[in-house]
Amino acid sequence: MTPETQQHGVVRRVIATPRFFLAIVIIALVIFFGSVKPAFFSGPFVIAPLLTSVAIFTVVGLAQMMVLSIGHMNLAVGQMASFGAMFMGMSYDLWKLPLLVGLGIGLVAGAAVGGLSGWLVARTGVNSFIVTLAMSFALIGLVPTAYSALATGSAFIAKPSGLDVIGRDSFASFCFAGYCGPNAIPIIVVPAIVVMLIVGYLYARTRLGRELLMTGSNVKAATLSGIPTGRRIVLAHALSGLLAALAGFFLASSTGSFTPGIGDEFMLQSFVGPILGGTLLAGGYISVSGTFLGIVLTLLIRKGLDLFGVGIETLNVLLGLILIIALSTDRIRLLARRRSVKRVQQTDALLIEGNPL
Amino acid sequence: MTETYALEATHLTKSFPGVKALDRVSLRLKPGEVHALLGENGAGKSTLIKILTGVHRADDGTIAIDGRDREISSPIEAMAAGIGVVHQERNVVPEFTVGENIVLSRMPRRAGRVDWNTVRSEAKRCLALLDLSIDPDTPMTRLSAAQTQLVEIARGLYTETNVLLLDEPTASISANEADRLFTVVRRLREQGKAVLFVSHKLEEVFAHCDTVSVLRDGKAVLESSPLHSHSRDEIVDIMVGRALAALEVPDRVIDDSAPAVLEMRGVATSVGHHDVSLAVRSGEILGLYGLVGAGRTELARSILGLDRITAGSLEVRGSAVTIRSVRQALQDHRIGYVTENRKEEGVFLGQSVARNIAVTVWAKLERALGFVSTKSERSLGATFVGDLDIRVSSQSQLVGELSGGNQQKVSLAKWLAAKTEILIIDEPTVGIDVRTKRSFYDLIWRLADEGLAILLISSDLAEMVTLADRIAVMDQFAITGELDNTHDYDSMSQSIIRLIHGTQVA
Repeated sequence: MTPETQQHGVVRRVIATPRFFLAIVIIALVIFFGSVKPAFFSGPFVIAPLLTSVAIFTVVGLAQMMVLSIGHMNLAVGQMASFGAMFMGMSYDLWKLPLLVGLGIGLVAGAAVGGLSGWLVARTGVNSFIVTLAMSFALIGLVPTAYSALATGSAFIAKPSGLDVIGRDSFASFCFAGYCGPNAIPIIVVPAIVVMLIVGYLYARTRLGRELLMTGSNVKAATLSGIPTGRRIVLAHALSGLLAALAGFFLASSTGSFTPGIGDEFMLQSFVGPILGGTLLAGGYISVSGTFLGIVLTLLIRKGLDLFGVGIETLNVLLGLILIIALSTDRIRLLARRRSVKRVQQTDALLIEGNPL
Repeated sequence: MTETYALEATHLTKSFPGVKALDRVSLRLKPGEVHALLGENGAGKSTLIKILTGVHRADDGTIAIDGRDREISSPIEAMAAGIGVVHQERNVVPEFTVGENIVLSRMPRRAGRVDWNTVRSEAKRCLALLDLSIDPDTPMTRLSAAQTQLVEIARGLYTETNVLLLDEPTASISANEADRLFTVVRRLREQGKAVLFVSHKLEEVFAHCDTVSVLRDGKAVLESSPLHSHSRDEIVDIMVGRALAALEVPDRVIDDSAPAVLEMRGVATSVGHHDVSLAVRSGEILGLYGLVGAGRTELARSILGLDRITAGSLEVRGSAVTIRSVRQALQDHRIGYVTENRKEEGVFLGQSVARNIAVTVWAKLERALGFVSTKSERSLGATFVGDLDIRVSSQSQLVGELSGGNQQKVSLAKWLAAKTEILIIDEPTVGIDVRTKRSFYDLIWRLADEGLAILLISSDLAEMVTLADRIAVMDQFAITGELDNTHDYDSMSQSIIRLIHGTQVA
């Protein structure tokens, strides 16, 4: 293969990914919204809130992607977020702990409920759909009960120092020699980017990430190759809970208070992002950048249509359509993969009696 | 005057890519006849049954029922033509009740709705034919394996059939239960129905059949011959065949005095093995032969800790061990297992070649922060892609895009990458191109020469006689004998078959 044809191959592969398609659509939408409604480019009123949502929901999407990588689901992603955030709120409001300590406690709480789901799935073999559905019901009951017992006015409102910096400040507050950063870029994108990098590193470069993908790809073969699949299942769910809790923290820091309603909006979005971005529902293949782009696209549509004065109901109908398209493209891609696999088998393999391929 | 046959198949031919499963096979069943169809694994029996029942379509040849040519291109057409079947594989719906399963092919209906009273009475009728008193409302999941098999047989009796095909119906039921089946078979014969009976149990065949046909390598080597004009040994000879194209077997030197690296002494397992003793030395290939369902794969699974060893001892390199997981077998004892179910358990179809090979060694390639370099993974992959001559376009190619033979090499390569010293290879050439088989044999010999202890499981007798140094024969979860392999196909195959069928060597 000459370097030239190889390069063509790379280009073709990049173009064929859903990520490339998403990027094109996103650019087209930005140009469209910007030219029809110049107000779209208003930094503090449109771009900054949009980027804040993108930062929060990218983490939500990654939380779901964690379990999708092993072919599972986490329907309790929103409730795990509110559960983790509740512990953060309690740390700050009741125990007066500093920002990072409270954050740590909340993340551990999120990881713990996630790990519990994973343990139940691995131990009982019950489908993750059912286990996390049950988990979400339990937490929907538990979290508001705890809030009404412990918090005044059903919210924890005490703010440790630094919370507003993460949730509400933009780079405009960082000045150096008289020059300040752009007010269109909120600080919160920084930790979100760090999370993306860490998750990307996990899957692309580490043993754990590879083992998660192998578990998702074929759990039987993974077990028979010496991968401790039970522990990997627990790990994937625990990391999902941890990232959900982190997203809950981001959301609370941007709204300014810890409430039981944190995470109510998470579940649908958590699936749309990864699936639009090419993550397989069946497991074994993920994309961090795709999840990011999928989230950007849906939030961009939401924001843009909002500018046109489209009501919330219409918005939700459109998001539902996007999800259907996303799910069916996932299916189509999987079928296409299977078909190409089958074609090879038919031409090259043979059937021997008693051992149908 | 020409006789009218209940079923007459003429010159049936069926090819699958790379192999001719059936080559101009003819079969004639007279009304009122119980006809035995014999042949070793892979001879073409199941393919023939699947063609007669419309599961597969023949490439060539005709099928006539009661003297009239019939086109049978689906199971429904086979049923309409009066052909009933009890398949070898369990085909029941576990979520349904016994009654529902029995009448599944034709649900009794009244006014567009399932007529549950008729379902129950029909199911009872079929079960009564077998002297079974199972309540039709029992869920299938509550039945034992043998009961499930009996329900399967009852299902074959539900529809009015002129020809009943029984594909190894007695493989998993006791002699007592089998007797009830034969009572029904005799009754069907008296009613003038034709029965085709496939079995590996020669005693049953000689006790209950009238005529016999034998398949070997897809060809009919004995066509509709009266059974009692043959002796048992004669039939075994015909099944096994003589003068098979012999493969050149390399001269292998095995140090008989070397200690065994893997040894089982009087092992019993939670899945039903009893008193299993065998030993493999380094550099040696121990064959484990048996029919499908004899308990060979299950023995491999218990060595790997997937099933429990309940008595006896498992010794690795001289010391007794307890293995609880594949991971432990691999990391602590250097035992690897190449599975028979390549696609389901052996490879990751949606993952790259490099990752499929490196999956067993990530723990070793791991650096600080869990980092595994793609470069080290690829150089490892490149070694084995080259060494085993795996045909890939690049190491990023998905394993699902490779041919069966190359997938099998990938499935093997991961154990070589992990430097295992004891390798259990289960059905290495199933579904593999005939041309590729030979290169596999060379590879297995080479690995043994390099010092691996190999436990080879195969249902392919020719393969076993070619590859193994010694052959242990397993039947019904016990070792029935062990033979030094002379690589002489005729004598070895007969000794082995006799160890399975329990007949004395003449």
